[in-house]
Amino acid sequence: MKQNVSISAGLPGTKAPRGKADTLLRDIIRDKWLYLMLLPGIIYFIIFKYVPMYGVSMAFMDYKPYTGFLGSPWVGFKHFERFFSEPQFGMLFRNTVILAVYNLVFFFPMPIILSLMLNEVRRAKFKNFVQTLIYIPHFVSWVVVVGIFYILLTTENGILNELLYQITGRKIAFLLEAEWFRTMIITQSIWKEIGWGTVIFLAALAGVDLQQYEAARIDGASRWRQLWHITLPAIRSTIIILFILRLGNFLDSGFEHIFLMITPTNREVGEVFDTYVYTKGMTQGQYSYSSAVGLFKSAVGLVLVLGSNWLAKKFGEEGVY
Amino acid sequence: MLQDKTIGNRIFDITNYTLLILIGLICVLPFVYVLAVSFTSPAEVAKGGLILWPKEWSLASYRYIFSTDTLFRSMLVSIYITVVGTFINLLFTSLMAYPLAKATLRGRQFILLAVLFTMLFGGGMIPTYFVVKAMGLTNSLWSLMIPNAISAFNLIVLKNFFQQIPDGLEDSARIDGCTDVGVLFRIVLPLSMPAMATFGLFYAVGHWNQFFSAILYINDSRLYPIQVLLRQIVILAQGSIGDTSIDNVEIQPLTIRMAVIVFATVPILLVYPFLQKHFAKGVMLGSVKG
Amino acid sequence: MKMNVCRGIGILMLTAVLAGCGPVDGSKAKSSGPDRFYLSIGATLIGELPPNNNAVEKAIEAYTNTDLQIEWIPMSAYDDKQRLMIAAGELPKLVKLAYTPDYISTIKAGQFWELGPMLKDYAHLSVLDSQYYSNISVEGRIYGIPIVRDLGRATIQYRKDWFDRLGLKVPVTLEDWYTVVHAMTLEDPDGNGKQDTYGMVLDKRYNQDVSSMLTRISVSQGGPNKWLVEDNQFIPEFLTEPFFETMKLFRRLYTEKLINSDFIVVDNNEASKIYDSGRAGIQISGGNAQSWMDKLIKTVPEAEVDVVFLAGPDGNRLPGEPGNAGFFAVPKDSVKTLEEVKQILEFLDKLFDPPMQMVITRGIEDRHWSDSGDYAEILDRTLDLREVKPYRDLLPNLAEYQQSIKPVRQPELYQKNQEIGKMNKEYVVENPALTLESDTYREKGKELEIIIQDAETKFIMGMIDEEGWRAELSRWQEAGGSQMCREYELANRSRAAE
Repeated sequence: MKQNVSISAGLPGTKAPRGKADTLLRDIIRDKWLYLMLLPGIIYFIIFKYVPMYGVSMAFMDYKPYTGFLGSPWVGFKHFERFFSEPQFGMLFRNTVILAVYNLVFFFPMPIILSLMLNEVRRAKFKNFVQTLIYIPHFVSWVVVVGIFYILLTTENGILNELLYQITGRKIAFLLEAEWFRTMIITQSIWKEIGWGTVIFLAALAGVDLQQYEAARIDGASRWRQLWHITLPAIRSTIIILFILRLGNFLDSGFEHIFLMITPTNREVGEVFDTYVYTKGMTQGQYSYSSAVGLFKSAVGLVLVLGSNWLAKKFGEEGVY
Repeated sequence: MLQDKTIGNRIFDITNYTLLILIGLICVLPFVYVLAVSFTSPAEVAKGGLILWPKEWSLASYRYIFSTDTLFRSMLVSIYITVVGTFINLLFTSLMAYPLAKATLRGRQFILLAVLFTMLFGGGMIPTYFVVKAMGLTNSLWSLMIPNAISAFNLIVLKNFFQQIPDGLEDSARIDGCTDVGVLFRIVLPLSMPAMATFGLFYAVGHWNQFFSAILYINDSRLYPIQVLLRQIVILAQGSIGDTSIDNVEIQPLTIRMAVIVFATVPILLVYPFLQKHFAKGVMLGSVKG
Repeated sequence: MKMNVCRGIGILMLTAVLAGCGPVDGSKAKSSGPDRFYLSIGATLIGELPPNNNAVEKAIEAYTNTDLQIEWIPMSAYDDKQRLMIAAGELPKLVKLAYTPDYISTIKAGQFWELGPMLKDYAHLSVLDSQYYSNISVEGRIYGIPIVRDLGRATIQYRKDWFDRLGLKVPVTLEDWYTVVHAMTLEDPDGNGKQDTYGMVLDKRYNQDVSSMLTRISVSQGGPNKWLVEDNQFIPEFLTEPFFETMKLFRRLYTEKLINSDFIVVDNNEASKIYDSGRAGIQISGGNAQSWMDKLIKTVPEAEVDVVFLAGPDGNRLPGEPGNAGFFAVPKDSVKTLEEVKQILEFLDKLFDPPMQMVITRGIEDRHWSDSGDYAEILDRTLDLREVKPYRDLLPNLAEYQQSIKPVRQPELYQKNQEIGKMNKEYVVENPALTLESDTYREKGKELEIIIQDAETKFIMGMIDEEGWRAELSRWQEAGGSQMCREYELANRSRAAE
């Protein structure tokens, strides 16, 4: 794509177009091994990701499994119109976005902070031990996590609530009240995923040259200064990349988790796109409808990713592409 | 002045260590619960409450799950797809990530954008199934390894890691007559052990947790990986997904469900401690190169 | 480094060998006679996977002279897999379907064989109670063989020892229910000096589906089962007096803290745990009271459970249930000839033969059960759970209804519950909308249900008053509820005209 542009551009003052084509060819020949290495991956993405992409058309049809893609009628933007004109659309959009923002603000930085804390630990044994402990919850399914929160927080003999009652003389219905819903969701997410999230940052930190710390110490730099000038820059590009990629699924809320936590009393803040589509599909497989919702979510993700990547590049960062 | 700094340092260290121990304890709690319940007698569990240490020890749950070879067989299936699948993943991903890390490569941006695009848009379950079927992969374990050979996320992040390796080292290898392939395998990969360990872990856990594609692509239930059975025993029991016809099924007692969770989780939990030494290795190599 | 590579290769080889043990191509290793009828079945897996080539499956194959290939598909992904198989034209010859709008529209599109006219040729299939068939009919036609279950299961199960101690009587009116629950919550029925019991415990699915507690009590008090038809007007249950009174009962119980305050986050496991550990006294259940008793005496050895009909002022009344756990249908995609359809029906018919029913419900003699005169004795609970249960859940069985099946020796309570279950059929109140179609229901039936279920819960918890409840009702009507009523009326009228 880029080379096409450069061939046709041929602006005055630059080298002649022919010369550019020559360099292009020379570059390709120079990198022939690199292209060869790319080949299996490109073939993989074409076959398994781009060939099935025709499935996106489902959002514009009334798809039924027995009529298939060729036999189902085209309906244009019907499903999108229906989605946007749902009476609950406003509520769903608000809930989904608020939860997504909470996730970015409260959940996303947690693994980074924890990685930095771990990085300050000089005893390798202790560090490894803590790392091993904190990544365990990732393997516990949401059903079990929600079950444990129930045991801790329920108003009927919930352990923490009993404790609260002893201290303050009242109980809080953490699991029922709408105002606690988002706090609960984020807390559970942090509990389950914080340790897992540190893995990638610790890998990035593993590349930091220890001599830099040595040099900084000799110069009398405090630990905060070391953190600021050595550690953080080392993982900055990883943080940015992860942030941009996270924006790609900005509107994904984690269906199973939310679904388990929704109750009649917190539905007004808990219902999000993912759970709503599930409910829709319960009586009839709304293939096309859910596909349309998915497409909408992806489109939002695309805009956010492209926008944030552009911004990152503007500030001199590498970005995703 | 110097004195002051060490006191500050000590306070910092103590706070840091205490916090980390606390976080570690909180994180390990759910698993301790699962473990404890799995070793407790059902009657004790029926009384309810949070059990963190079995009051009445019982191996009944484990006796039950080991009384058949179904779980063992699916465990072997899981180990197989995890080991072979992760190997395929790392090979394909690093082969593709390395060229993309070269800023001078023509067409690089286009390919990256195309890869990123697949993270956001997908054809969905049915068209993907048709592709997997057309490739002749259905009803074989390859269907759980080939269709997810490269994760776009891991590819992009790995590319980012590769970019941070100084060019000097690679250039010297090239002068010694290595091709790009040689540079990748002899220089870049050994230098990227922390990254390889990380993505190996990501991929391995991904394979280990597969259950949905196994149900979709595989008809022969003897080839089901452990997660399918785990979910079958644990999730269904919760009755969280509405279905009237399961209203009254006999569900396994909590103790057995927890024992199955332990059985299905411990193998993958052991992977990380095993990989940790590679993280340390990366640090040492890193200091040499500087 | 070299060490690691060697180790890696070692692991690879080892696993390759291990994987080589299992069949990777999915071909069958079973020995089967060449003349056997090959039959593939798409089956839901509810619990654990049965072992390969187990005795039960072999016995079924031998008796019916078939070569069975059962695809056990876990419940959680069954519908998705089914859709894939429909889209890919890969359906087995016999599939288990559920009576949901999705499958009904697939049936209406002509994807499955109509079986109704053929049934008369089969000794067992033709004599099955017609209610079973009409509950799965599509536009009045029969496309499937039901996987038969009780048509009405609800019974009142209660702690007899508590009732005796407090001098309580089995509740009949709503006031009785209040009295009973009140007493068992506040008057220390277990005599431990602590106020740690509940009369009744609800779970978060308390008002959902066929086992809705509200529907069950409301029906017993003379209310309709989900829908009331008056002069061909369809009125939802929650607009009827008995239902509203039932809701008020629960509101009162909740406000006075006589039921668990956290019921909307309690899953049914947690709720049963409370019953099983002797902390709650009465429930309406579709299960057998004996299983409650069995668990209960492990913690409370002196406990005693009794079971009675669900009854109100007008005598025994309970909501009717679909009477099936899905049904088997024959796809036209995989079964091309009428000849083959008949072979499949013959297979299904044979399953109703007494020897087959015995295998499906009890397993193999001297492996799963043994003959001890008048009774069958179950030999090994674990083996039964593993090898027999999957087939018991999957295949049609009339269990205890057939006299020819040797009953398992069961305690009196079990038999009493069983007896009530059989007689319940006489007192069932049918859901008039069960087999009627409505486009609105198909499009947003679940959303509409949720509006009302949430409102019920909020009313019971005192978060909304009667006015608020009426506001929710009109929200329901505007969101499509009224439309749905009209569609049912229309469907009902055209059915009556047929």
